[in-house]
Amino acid sequence: MLFFSFFKTLVNHQVTIELKNDISIRGTLKSVDQYLNIKLDDITVVEEMKYPHLSSVKNVFIRGSVVRYVHLPAAAVDTPLLEDATRREAAQTGAKAKQG
Amino acid sequence: MERLNLSDAAPQGPGALPPGQGQPMMMPPGPPPVPQLPPQMFTTAAQLLDLTDKKLMVVLRDGRKLIGVLRSWDQFGNLVLQDTVERQFVHSEGKALWADIERGLFLVRGENVSLLGEIDLDKDDYIPEPFKEAPVEQVFALKKQEEAAKKGTGKRRNKKLAEHGFEGEHSGEAIL
Amino acid sequence: MMADEEPSATTADANPVNEPLDMVRLSLSEVVFVKLRGDRELQGRLHAYDNHCNLVLGEVEETVYVVDDEEAGDEIRTVKKNSEMLF
Repeated sequence: MLFFSFFKTLVNHQVTIELKNDISIRGTLKSVDQYLNIKLDDITVVEEMKYPHLSSVKNVFIRGSVVRYVHLPAAAVDTPLLEDATRREAAQTGAKAKQG
Repeated sequence: MERLNLSDAAPQGPGALPPGQGQPMMMPPGPPPVPQLPPQMFTTAAQLLDLTDKKLMVVLRDGRKLIGVLRSWDQFGNLVLQDTVERQFVHSEGKALWADIERGLFLVRGENVSLLGEIDLDKDDYIPEPFKEAPVEQVFALKKQEEAAKKGTGKRRNKKLAEHGFEGEHSGEAIL
Repeated sequence: MMADEEPSATTADANPVNEPLDMVRLSLSEVVFVKLRGDRELQGRLHAYDNHCNLVLGEVEETVYVVDDEEAGDEIRTVKKNSEMLF
């Protein structure tokens, strides 16, 4: 749930998603779900000539499993908070593992 | 992790204390609370619902591009596409060509989808220069050539990189 | 909000290392080196991770290993890219 919540805090920010097939798509993060599928609005493809098929597309739904990276605006991320959240999540899942 | 956003508004509504009972809730110092976005925005279903009955560009994991109208879907991302055409592009030997092939009705298994794009009807079927429409047979033949060439270099490439301790991303899959 | 529900971050840090990902936890806010699939490496400051090894890194340098298709013997070349923050 960590990254699901994390991406929710980044809604309406500009991000660039690099897919495993090397396409990079820049757009406004509009929505994310539990699988980290992502919806981007007002997209531009970084290398349009190489990937001409998206020129008439305005918003995309990207399957979480095909994402290689999401380039994020560092200014929109509270890194100490994120690190704390990570530790909490790790403590939680660690406790769960001991129970089970 | 729900508390990642420190500036979230405190829970309101039926769960909150009724007014006039107990002490008034102190607002935390710092930035003013941001209105919470409705949780239903963050489901797969909500994202696909927006795209229903729209003309979509679906890119499959193997690189194929399908254009059709999304008529149905489920929580796995399985899709039903109506009036589908497959669009092929080639960009080789100084030529940039494309062609459409009529395909009809598709049921696509969700795991094979890499991307769904809503086609802007104002820019419907806009294809950037220098791409030109060409007969299916010509594009298809060039595409075959292109893929064969890629397979050859891909093999050599993986072999070379394997010597240095790397492993390809998608062993066995041809992807563009 | 509900801060007293679970162990705080400091007690979590005091926990011993008893599973591999605990090592990763100790690397939070350190500069780490990550070897990826697809002939890639990353170097950057680790800000977050989860059980799937999804990561958030800051001030990242990515190195991609590519093979030139020249007849001159398929040399390996590296391409470096930088990103201020990467998931």
